[in-house]
Amino acid sequence: MRQETIRRLFSLLLLSILIVAFGATSKLFLTLPNIFTLLREASVTGILAVGVTFVIITAGIDLSTGAIVAFVAMVCANIFYYTTLPVWVALAAGLLIGAGAGYLNGLLVTRLHLPDFIATLSTQGIFRGLALIIAIRSSTGSISNKVITNQGFLLLGDRVSVVYLVTIAFFVVALLGQGILKMTPLGTHTYAIGSSRKSADLSGINSDRVKKVAFTISGICSAVGALFLTARMQTAIPELGTGLEFDVIAAVVIGGCAFSGGRGDVFGSVVGALFMAILTNGIYKYNLPAAFHIIIKGCVIIIMVIFDSVYHRRMDDRIRKAGKMLDQAAAAAEAAGGGAGGIS
Amino acid sequence: MRKSVHWGIITVMIVALALAAAGQVSAQAKKNPYKDPVKIAYLPDNIGDTVGAAWGVGIKREFAYFPNITYQVFDGKLSAETQNQIMTELINQKYDCIILQAHDAAALAASAREAEKQGIPVIDLNLDAQTPHTCLVAMVDYEAGSLVAQEIAKGVGDNGNVVIIEAPPGASRGINVEAGFRDTLKAHPGVKILAAQDGEWLTEKGNTVMRDFLTKYPKINAVFAINDAMAEGASQAAAAAGRKMIIWGADGEKKALQYIEQGKLTGTIYTNCYDEGATAARMALYAIGAEINGSKFTKTPIIKMAPIVVTKDTVASIAEKDRW
Repeated sequence: MRQETIRRLFSLLLLSILIVAFGATSKLFLTLPNIFTLLREASVTGILAVGVTFVIITAGIDLSTGAIVAFVAMVCANIFYYTTLPVWVALAAGLLIGAGAGYLNGLLVTRLHLPDFIATLSTQGIFRGLALIIAIRSSTGSISNKVITNQGFLLLGDRVSVVYLVTIAFFVVALLGQGILKMTPLGTHTYAIGSSRKSADLSGINSDRVKKVAFTISGICSAVGALFLTARMQTAIPELGTGLEFDVIAAVVIGGCAFSGGRGDVFGSVVGALFMAILTNGIYKYNLPAAFHIIIKGCVIIIMVIFDSVYHRRMDDRIRKAGKMLDQAAAAAEAAGGGAGGIS
Repeated sequence: MRKSVHWGIITVMIVALALAAAGQVSAQAKKNPYKDPVKIAYLPDNIGDTVGAAWGVGIKREFAYFPNITYQVFDGKLSAETQNQIMTELINQKYDCIILQAHDAAALAASAREAEKQGIPVIDLNLDAQTPHTCLVAMVDYEAGSLVAQEIAKGVGDNGNVVIIEAPPGASRGINVEAGFRDTLKAHPGVKILAAQDGEWLTEKGNTVMRDFLTKYPKINAVFAINDAMAEGASQAAAAAGRKMIIWGADGEKKALQYIEQGKLTGTIYTNCYDEGATAARMALYAIGAEINGSKFTKTPIIKMAPIVVTKDTVASIAEKDRW
């Protein structure tokens, strides 16, 4: 069985253990409303995680996703508050801004050669600041967040039967993301530059372009998440999405992406997002003091990441050993072949 | 035969309707909050905050009289998204009442509305949700700002420069306190507001904002921080810079009262937060048992706690047991 498949099965096994454990100890956990709520909670993080997966596979990092969410949300709120433009204008504006913000990150990393961490940390501040600047204000100048009443837009926060629209969007975005990663040259190039940028450059891949595309995808995903989050909350606030980037990165890493790049996929990130949502949702079912919620969550994430690291180290060792054995076998075969040549 | 079948169908329909109606009645039947098992959640903006913690103590003390009550505290982590997630969770878990301190008035409106629609009364503490609901228990806000403005104007002799350390944008309490302060100062044209900046309710942020003000403005006569935590930060910054000025907070937390005794803070508007929490708890029990439906309200009823102006001269009147 392939290493990736084993890792995937193990993630699913851990996810199942978590579901069984919570299901067995809480009668509320496996109820239909709770399952759909849980999926809704996983969805915004999951949509953002799809984009960040591309960036992390290129051995990069994106810390600006939460701030892009705030900026996009605030732009939409402004459109609804100050204009009577149709909903699609707000949606298109949001997506364009997300794409632009992501592209800017890509430019800073590839053109100015800023490390991803510094570039996206800086733009995080810029986008958050822009959200504050364009925040809706009262006559005295203080920020006064308004409830969005545009019914067309609020549909995004609604559901089809029992399934929330954001959940459907999450799975559509995830399928698209996985498709791009696994079935297109862009996906192959993304893995290639994450595994070894030098080798990728030598084989003619335009690494800068791939990086820019990865950041742009991340920006678009942040914008999609922002639209659904804004519709759900029926408002936009400048501090929207604060700290969200860390939940997203945790989901991606739990899903099997390595910070060193070249490893992981969208499927893993979906599992990671579900894992985080199930953990949070499950913990709420117990009457534990609030401080324990964060401690338990932190501990489980550490365990997951340790498992991932140990698992990959073992797999790498095994591959190295297998490689060594192949080298030895090749050397032996060569030696044997040379001898035979000598006889003849 | 056909007639009897018709009658049979009609009888079944009537019985079904009667049962459904009975079901409706039983579903709507209110619990006795003092005897029946009830679950009440407390969701502050941040469990680490002094005011939130004091309310929590007040609520817990009140509920301790009733063993039938399951009381659970959740942490809003200073995030509207987290609070919304937890609200959905509490609605799913069919809690009987939610005591909420909304991070943002607009952002928590939809969740509060949904809870009320599901028959779960929402009692807000200080920071309100922008939708009609069962009740808001609050410290005086507009009036508190107004009282501080009067005190500061008196303190600077109706002539001087003031800076404001604001609450985070969107927080209803912050907006109202500041509005009360600014409106009242209009009657004192000699007192000029130099600047106002967000201190995020936090001591360290209040300190940072104050340091910035001190660098920018050579003459500051008075500071008004919208809560005590930020006022304490401002006081530390002023002391570190070796500059003396009038500093006012609002809330009346224990540390602020000590600062006033030590002369580090000029004054604050004290509210008994234990009592405020207990009032919210009593309101929760009342709402669970009473035949009221918050989702039908057109305006949220408000209970305002009495404000006490505390300065070095009056601080001794706050008993130790009432200091939080």
